[in-house]
Amino acid sequence: MVHDVRHRTRHVIRIVRGITLVAVAALAGCRPARADDRVTLTLAGSALGAEGAVVTAQAARFERLDPSVRVVIQRTPDDASQRHQLFVQWLNAHVGQPDILQLDVVWTSEFAAAGWILPLTRWHTDTHDFFPGVVAGDEWNGVLYALPWWTDIGMLYWRTDLMPRPPATMDEMTDALRRARSAGGPRDGLVWQGARYEGLVTVFLEFLGAYGGRIMDDSGRVVVDAPQAVAALTRMRDLLREGLVPRDAMTWHEEESRFDFQNGDAVFMRNWPYAYALMSDSGASRVAGRFGAAPMPSAPGGTPTATLGGQQLAINAYTEHPDAAYRLIAYLTAPAQELERARVAGTLPPRRSLYDEPALDSALPMGVTVARQVLEHATPRPVTPIYSQLSDLLQIQLHRALTGQTDPASALHTAAAGMNALVERTHVRELAHAQHSDASIPAR
Amino acid sequence: MKEERTAWVLLAPALGSILLVAMFPLGWTMWESLHQHDLRMPWLGRPFVGLANYATVATDARFWEAIGHTAFFAVVSIALELALGLVLALAMNRTFRARGIVRAAVLLPWAIPTVVAALLSRFMFESPWGVIDVLLMRTGVAHQPVVWLAGSHIAWVPLILADVWKTTPFVALLLLAGLQNIDRELYEAAAIDGASAWWQLRRITLPLLKPAIVVALIFRTLDAFRVFDLVYVLTGGGPGTSTEPIALYTFNTLLQNLEFGYGAALSVVVFAATFGLAMLYIRWMGGVSPGEVAA
Repeated sequence: MVHDVRHRTRHVIRIVRGITLVAVAALAGCRPARADDRVTLTLAGSALGAEGAVVTAQAARFERLDPSVRVVIQRTPDDASQRHQLFVQWLNAHVGQPDILQLDVVWTSEFAAAGWILPLTRWHTDTHDFFPGVVAGDEWNGVLYALPWWTDIGMLYWRTDLMPRPPATMDEMTDALRRARSAGGPRDGLVWQGARYEGLVTVFLEFLGAYGGRIMDDSGRVVVDAPQAVAALTRMRDLLREGLVPRDAMTWHEEESRFDFQNGDAVFMRNWPYAYALMSDSGASRVAGRFGAAPMPSAPGGTPTATLGGQQLAINAYTEHPDAAYRLIAYLTAPAQELERARVAGTLPPRRSLYDEPALDSALPMGVTVARQVLEHATPRPVTPIYSQLSDLLQIQLHRALTGQTDPASALHTAAAGMNALVERTHVRELAHAQHSDASIPAR
Repeated sequence: MKEERTAWVLLAPALGSILLVAMFPLGWTMWESLHQHDLRMPWLGRPFVGLANYATVATDARFWEAIGHTAFFAVVSIALELALGLVLALAMNRTFRARGIVRAAVLLPWAIPTVVAALLSRFMFESPWGVIDVLLMRTGVAHQPVVWLAGSHIAWVPLILADVWKTTPFVALLLLAGLQNIDRELYEAAAIDGASAWWQLRRITLPLLKPAIVVALIFRTLDAFRVFDLVYVLTGGGPGTSTEPIALYTFNTLLQNLEFGYGAALSVVVFAATFGLAMLYIRWMGGVSPGEVAA
């Protein structure tokens, strides 16, 4: 039934496409021959500020190396969910451009399972140099679908003027917060990303790992209502109850927490590496030279956990130039380009070998030692095509528990029930085994 | 006979446009709502599922909560707007100097786009730096900054205040039009009979203002039922989903999660509810003569 509908849809699409091609060819025939017979590749992703500058420069260099290709950088919204929505709509319409898509680490499996991006098997990429956790997020059913471009990692910013070393455990962190408060320290204790969006899940994942819990087990069942998870969420809730995390932080995203910490109003901040360079600028930051970064603390039964984020490059399954597209993504993710990107835009490269380069140490504002320390604890989010929908269900319940509308145990129970129902309804577990190479390559 | 044909020919463009821009999308949405169609899960295809989406709607707790939030928002904000609007209209109906300027000034909030108004309130209610919290602390009313947007009950305060601030002028203007149609002689006669101002308000103003009130109610109810931008900007429906109205839930389902089938079913339900409300009001207005409604 399902396949029948898909088949018919494809048939209609093929007819429509045929008519369009004829029409386009007829129109093209009316025009004078183009002087430029290069292949045009479109890349859609972050193209603002320093990131835009570095990708534009690298694309220009690539054009000189590969004169048969012209690269167009297409601007897309910087807001992740808006970009995601745009990509999904384009790919549903089987549009061949942009040829190259910048994907968030949690989208790769979704796009792969949908058949919207090409498996990279035929180019035999060597992925040994990339961090294994990053590569795991770029694979679906054991097949590589994207190349890591840069990495993001959740970490704990701490104030070097308030304590000699960062807390290693949750209890140490709570003690440090209480001490700072009774000593008349900053107004706020720990600040985080608490608004109801993906950021909240990334924070929760770090508390969850600290207690040894996880979102999904190896068989693809959601286990986010296990005792460890309840302990993790209870700890978060208690920090709020005790006033060690300000209640305002439940409406904050990355930037609100950075402003708070950078104004000297917080003892700790959970945030991504981008904040490091910004807060080191003594012109804008009151904590310049007085803060450090470390892995998030752990608790009994778990390990320090750092949520792995980052951006990947993948090839649109409907592109007309897969080989040229692959050459471009291989070039952009090569060591030299990722190093340059780190220097210009401050992003962490996903290649292990670069962390031995002195050049990276001077390029990264936080230095290589701290970066490596945090990256050791990198933990990917569940690799499943329905991650975004699962996260959506989890976000609501986390937010309910942390704003005092329900208790952690029943919130997580509701979340797990809803998430498992979605897993069943969408058949992703069967999909993970059944679908391999056939359905993931759409008919061209 | 010939005239009738000419009439149809002349009507054709209008009918065609209505078919194209109103009936076709509506029909398409209804057809879509009978399918399971999730843009992000092409492996599920787009199977016809009959009324299954509607059965899910009926048991969807988030949907019923959203309906509850919408109704709550509508009742409270409209009650406040009618009361305040009436006061403003009565004030503006008196003759005084600079009346034109006052009327224009009162209407100003209505002219501001909702998204801008929502952003303004967001900045004002942001804690602890927002102007409201700063004022409350300076005047000693509060000792701790009030966290407006992260409390499931208190988050309604900025939402409803923002709506009241923006929409009261509209209600006031509608009521003012109604007031100006009331015959002055009625008040004179009542005054001669020794009726108090309160009695005049209850026995003359309010009954004769009924058509205008009904019109204001219709507009406001239909608007409040579709409230979206205000909540989207101010609370995003949170904390949790405790301020999520039905329009925002539909938007999230359709455009954020790209669940076209289920989202279409939600849209159809919202459409049916709004349509039903409109019908109800029109019947209610039936008791009022058309001439009065025109006021």
